[in-house]
Amino acid sequence: MAGLELMNLSKAYGQVEVLHDINLSIADGEFVVFVGPSGCGKSTLLRMIAGLEKITGGDLMIGGTRSNELSPKQRNIAMVFQSYALYPQMTVAQNMGFSLSLERRPKAEIAQKVKEAADSLKLGPYLDRKPGQLSGGQRQRVAIGRAIVRNPKVFLLDEPLSNLDAALRSETRVEISELHQRMETTMIYVTHDQVEAMTMADRIVVLNAGYIEQVGSPMELYNNPATEFVAGFIGSPKMNFVKGKYADFIGAATLGVRPEHFAVGQSDEAWQGTVTLVERLGHDTILYVKVPEAGMLTVSLNGQHDQNVGDTIFLRPLQEFIHKFNNEGRPIAA
Amino acid sequence: MYGRWILLFVLGVIAVLMASPLILTVFTSLKPTTELVNPAWYPPLNVTFEHYVRVWTEGGFSRYFFNTLLISVVDAAVMVVIASLAAYAMVFIDFRGKLALQVLFLIGLMIPVTAIVLPLFQIVRSFGLLNTHFGVIVADLALAVSVFVFMFTSYFVGVPKALHEAARIDGATEFQIYRRVIMPIAMPAVVTTALLEFLWSWNDLLLRLLLLTQDEMRTLSVGLLNFQGTMTRDVTGLSSGTVIMAIPVVILFLFFQRHFVRGMTAGAVK
Repeated sequence: MAGLELMNLSKAYGQVEVLHDINLSIADGEFVVFVGPSGCGKSTLLRMIAGLEKITGGDLMIGGTRSNELSPKQRNIAMVFQSYALYPQMTVAQNMGFSLSLERRPKAEIAQKVKEAADSLKLGPYLDRKPGQLSGGQRQRVAIGRAIVRNPKVFLLDEPLSNLDAALRSETRVEISELHQRMETTMIYVTHDQVEAMTMADRIVVLNAGYIEQVGSPMELYNNPATEFVAGFIGSPKMNFVKGKYADFIGAATLGVRPEHFAVGQSDEAWQGTVTLVERLGHDTILYVKVPEAGMLTVSLNGQHDQNVGDTIFLRPLQEFIHKFNNEGRPIAA
Repeated sequence: MYGRWILLFVLGVIAVLMASPLILTVFTSLKPTTELVNPAWYPPLNVTFEHYVRVWTEGGFSRYFFNTLLISVVDAAVMVVIASLAAYAMVFIDFRGKLALQVLFLIGLMIPVTAIVLPLFQIVRSFGLLNTHFGVIVADLALAVSVFVFMFTSYFVGVPKALHEAARIDGATEFQIYRRVIMPIAMPAVVTTALLEFLWSWNDLLLRLLLLTQDEMRTLSVGLLNFQGTMTRDVTGLSSGTVIMAIPVVILFLFFQRHFVRGMTAGAVK
């Protein structure tokens, strides 16, 4: 196990810099999630940590050792790929034991370690199968098992759930969280899915256009977003941003209200709007409401409600939860 | 309905045209000399293998056969190794001068052998490799390597990069990745390369005629010329020699046909 220090890390392809001055400390045993939209640099950053991409500026310290020039093997990290990257000609057992066989470990030791990892991932019955004979979820577990067997200092996971269907995704999400608790190894997880980030991370690193927007615990990011971008990215459904009359009224360039922070009912401060779409999820009801001078708003109501398309509705943002942003997208202190 | 019959007819005519020289050659090789007065398409009435025995022993074909086999097998094996290693570097390793090297290989594809036969002869002679099988093998490899690097490159490009990266993370060296991860999944390209290079080497006449002037070093294709003088022609010897030369190729193709076609089309579509 080891902690990581990313000091002024940058990455450029020729003249084009895609990651700028990344500074980040990751504690030993921490579960950190890099999240951001496509092209923000999160996978590139992960690959730089893995040693698959050259670091063009700054320092990467793994366990206190400068690791910029070290090979992936010397860094003692393991990585789980989005595409699983299992060796198709090898059996599950051979895939999982490949790194140990390269180290010329005794066969009995390899078999023992593979069996332990396979048992912990419920892969025992599949050890003699080839990857092509497994389902997507089983393949992903083999990829995780391959990483476990090496007992690495740091686990890197690059969007490992994105090829799985919704049910399997949530199941595997829980398995990875349990695995982290059990192994207490440093894990860095890349995803563009903020639900994965919120549910798994000790800390989330939000990246945008090659910069770190904010680092914090899921609730810190949810309650106190450092930028308008983070406010919009964290939370599902995403935060409503209102400009114009209603923002001016409270002295902000942009007023941010999360969908769950509206009260429904007629009052003096309420905004009148028309329901244009209703999504009934059972535990929640999501309304899409067109409000003059505020635009289209998303409203999340707890439980089941009987609003229908075309209904007139009155919405009041809960003052204690609203977010105010200035012209630069920075929060305005209350 | 008629379209299908017309198609079958056309295919049948083409098949007869393609097969008839081979059939006539086999007929001639099995005929006693006394039956040679009959038209060529007459099957042998009294089948004899005397011409095969004569060609194999007196004609020196046993030696030619061994020489050809040696050169072709070494050609095929070495070509698989060097072409796949070069293609592996082209696809999976970043290095300075990669583009220039790719252009060089591309140029190698464009130059016909006949255009460089004389300089090639001089180079082989200057290295003292005339009349050696090693000289022929080196020349064969140099002339065909571009084609097979191109073929392996097309195949490797279709291999997910993540496999290479996963192996690096697992601690494999480039050579271990090549040998244990990439090559086992490139078997169609390996089989195609080995077969094609074997066939080219087996059938080649020009380089062997030029570089192997001593009789004991010669190959089957050159040996066949012995049966054809300026004024005379040993038809039965020529036919038997041709059949001897064709048999290994036909057997190989029958065995590996499926792999061969798969390898040829690999990389054409994702």
